[in-house]
Amino acid sequence: MASEERTKEILKGLHDAVVSFDEDKTVELCHTVLDEGIDPYTAVMDGLSSGMLKVSDLYNKKEYFVPELLLCSDALYAGLDILRPAIVASGKETSVKGSIVIGVVEGDIHDIGKNLVKMMFEAAGWTVYDLGRDVKLERFVEEQERTNSEIVGISALMTTSMLAMPRVINMLRAKNPNVRIMVGGAPVNPDVAKKYGADGYAPSAGTAVEEATRLLETLRKK
Amino acid sequence: MMALLKREPLDRIPVWGSVVGFSAINVGYTIADMYSDPQKAFDAMLWTAEQYGFQDIPVIFWAPKLGEVKMPEGEFSQAPTVSRYLVTTEEEAWKLELPDVKREGRRATMECGKLVVESGGPFVNVAIMPFTYAGSLCGVEQLCKWMMKKPELAHRLLRLSTDRNVERARYWADTFGTEHLLPYTAEPTTSNQIISPKHFEEFALPYVKEVHEKILALGCKHILCHICGEQNMNLPYWAQVPMGDPGIASFGHEVDLDVAGKYFPNDIIMGNVEPAVIQTGTPAQVYELTRICIEKGRKHPGGFMLAPGCEMPPKAPPYNVWTMMKAVSDFGWYE
Repeated sequence: MASEERTKEILKGLHDAVVSFDEDKTVELCHTVLDEGIDPYTAVMDGLSSGMLKVSDLYNKKEYFVPELLLCSDALYAGLDILRPAIVASGKETSVKGSIVIGVVEGDIHDIGKNLVKMMFEAAGWTVYDLGRDVKLERFVEEQERTNSEIVGISALMTTSMLAMPRVINMLRAKNPNVRIMVGGAPVNPDVAKKYGADGYAPSAGTAVEEATRLLETLRKK
Repeated sequence: MMALLKREPLDRIPVWGSVVGFSAINVGYTIADMYSDPQKAFDAMLWTAEQYGFQDIPVIFWAPKLGEVKMPEGEFSQAPTVSRYLVTTEEEAWKLELPDVKREGRRATMECGKLVVESGGPFVNVAIMPFTYAGSLCGVEQLCKWMMKKPELAHRLLRLSTDRNVERARYWADTFGTEHLLPYTAEPTTSNQIISPKHFEEFALPYVKEVHEKILALGCKHILCHICGEQNMNLPYWAQVPMGDPGIASFGHEVDLDVAGKYFPNDIIMGNVEPAVIQTGTPAQVYELTRICIEKGRKHPGGFMLAPGCEMPPKAPPYNVWTMMKAVSDFGWYE
């Protein structure tokens, strides 16, 4: 069993390894977590996720860009691959912040932004149901219903495919008036989001979790 | 546009409509026709340009020999997409050789160019995109990762892409004559929505600059360069890229035209009515946005062309497009 001081050292190491997109170091430290009996859930939340929070901040400040985020993402997922089975095996209750269905609408295969958003949510402790790209509109409705997710995130990068957004939003509302819907993607702006009837809008992957958290709070207050 | 390129006085602001998919829908064709059928692409763009008073040159921009390609289909697609990349592994990237430039699958593009010349059009466009084309070979995510972890591999693909873009321009110049060639650079993948200015300086600037220098050395006088998307942090580097005399530097709505003008004092600047507003805004919003662009652009000493900030949304309400032109009629006159 690691001492408190040793645990802090490992957690900081995980944080720093993710921020510096050092996948090898992340993997090494995750094995250390298991070898030294450190709680894997704590290692995820206070190490890996904490690092991703910093990455998100650097992205919002335009110090990190997509290449850096992609490598941070690789480090994060390499760490999660090691720690998640241990969390499940421990049978310990973990707190989930919320759940979200995300996807890129039909007719659009541009999914870099959506993948970054997915990573941010997973790092922040959300359950993410990723539908992928070029997603048939009814799949958003089916998946929201199946998973009972509070939030649906819809992405589009083209002016043609963004026209699918209001249709999906109407379909989702018809099935479940309580679901909160957020949109994003290069051609979308706050005015478009409002016009299409979305509850929220995120201009970048770095702000999506914050916006979803705000929507979740409005939903839970209801 | 010819008067603008010759730096002659103009009576009013010319407009480049960037109408590709919009043309297809406007005349009853499919968007896929614009990437595969030279006659339909030529007719649709020409008719639409005539209808609205645009300066567009009919062109097919597409390179189908890039792995597996899906043509636009269904209600929401806008352009062809690569469904499987030519390069998926490091080994493939090291071994990659591109097919002869004459066999790279641009027959439809060449045919469309011939229709332009036969109709007496002044220019034929040829697509130039060294960085974005490299991303199309292996996928943008993969290129980004290699830039970070295997920079020598990213540089290899960029070298291949750069040489290919120069070869293509030379082939087009041999076919049509440099006097008829208006190379069209479009580099959406270099935007700061994707890469940092530091990466732009290392991985994009040298290659874009090299292609432009070599194209101008061939004898082309002007290059139309669409600096696509959020590029504010890259502008000091773009300003180092020769565009011709004058060149045409085109901007997305993310770049303020006043700022753009400072970086390109001697070139024509082009832009930049926000496409999403043309598609989803009210006519009054489109009219006002166009007026603002005109007021900013008309002051530019190098000259100005009004245009959407990127491709005209294919499904833009025709009344909004007409309203954009109404604003040009109302405000776009020179004294």
